[in-house]
Amino acid sequence: MFEDPFLRKFEFAGNLSEDERTALQLLTLTRRPVPARRDIAESETGDRVYLVMSGFACRYKTLSGGNRRIVSFVLPGDLCYMHDSGAFARDLRVGTLTQCSVVDIPRARLEELIGLHPGISRAIWWVTLRELSRAREWIVNDTRPADRRLAHILCELFVCLRGIGMADEHGFDLPVSQTDLADALGISAVHINRVVQALRTRGRISWSNDRVTIPDVQGLKAFAEFDPAYLCLDGFGP
Amino acid sequence: MSLRLQPVQVATGSNDAESQLVFEDGFLVAVLVHLSDEHEGDAGKWYLEAGFGRVDSPDPPKFADLNEAQAWINQRLS
Repeated sequence: MFEDPFLRKFEFAGNLSEDERTALQLLTLTRRPVPARRDIAESETGDRVYLVMSGFACRYKTLSGGNRRIVSFVLPGDLCYMHDSGAFARDLRVGTLTQCSVVDIPRARLEELIGLHPGISRAIWWVTLRELSRAREWIVNDTRPADRRLAHILCELFVCLRGIGMADEHGFDLPVSQTDLADALGISAVHINRVVQALRTRGRISWSNDRVTIPDVQGLKAFAEFDPAYLCLDGFGP
Repeated sequence: MSLRLQPVQVATGSNDAESQLVFEDGFLVAVLVHLSDEHEGDAGKWYLEAGFGRVDSPDPPKFADLNEAQAWINQRLS
């Protein structure tokens, strides 16, 4: 068991050697705090990859009318802008939802480690495939009714946070706003309020003081048609 | 441009039920729902539950009262 969410996440792709673990840990020694509601990228040049070590953030895009759409959440241990070295991806931003601790990794250094260490190369592949898989699932999730869509996102957060030791068997801390969830679901602030109330009334979740409790996890997963296979937590296995 | 309102109850699946259908020249152009106490700071406002044609909006607005809502709808239709 690692305390480090970055290493814990990478180990889902397969075991890392001691050398690989050490190399990854050395990457994360220098961290900077980023206050809530800020973009984490400090430069537009694409020469850095950003690693969130604590806090909640999101990948998002803002339309010309001001509407924000969150396309995925960023949790501790997640790399950001990993594939965004080209101008083609700069429209997608990464912003903090809570205060975060962020590591700035020189892209060249990460590429060097990928070349030197097969375990790190495999883990980066895993992260890439997982992001694609998750993006597909979010597109499909948009087809579900809003209550099941929200339930699905809560199940995803639950499983991902469990994977890094940040959820217990019945719930997790969720210090984001209802508006953040609305923007992740693509629904209005009024609609998200109704959907949260509906899940509460039916006893599927409770959400107070930034804590989500799920009394019947299997029941919520069934309601959401949630199959965690898309999160690739079994690595590259069959 | 004159709008006609017709009170109605809408089954939103929440406590928001009191609503108004909004017609322009006999055509239904919008459904406004009065927000219940569930919405705390927005309670009492009128919400564009549905807008049709030019009244459709990806970011449905909330209005302080029905006059404000009708002014906004008229602007969209003009």
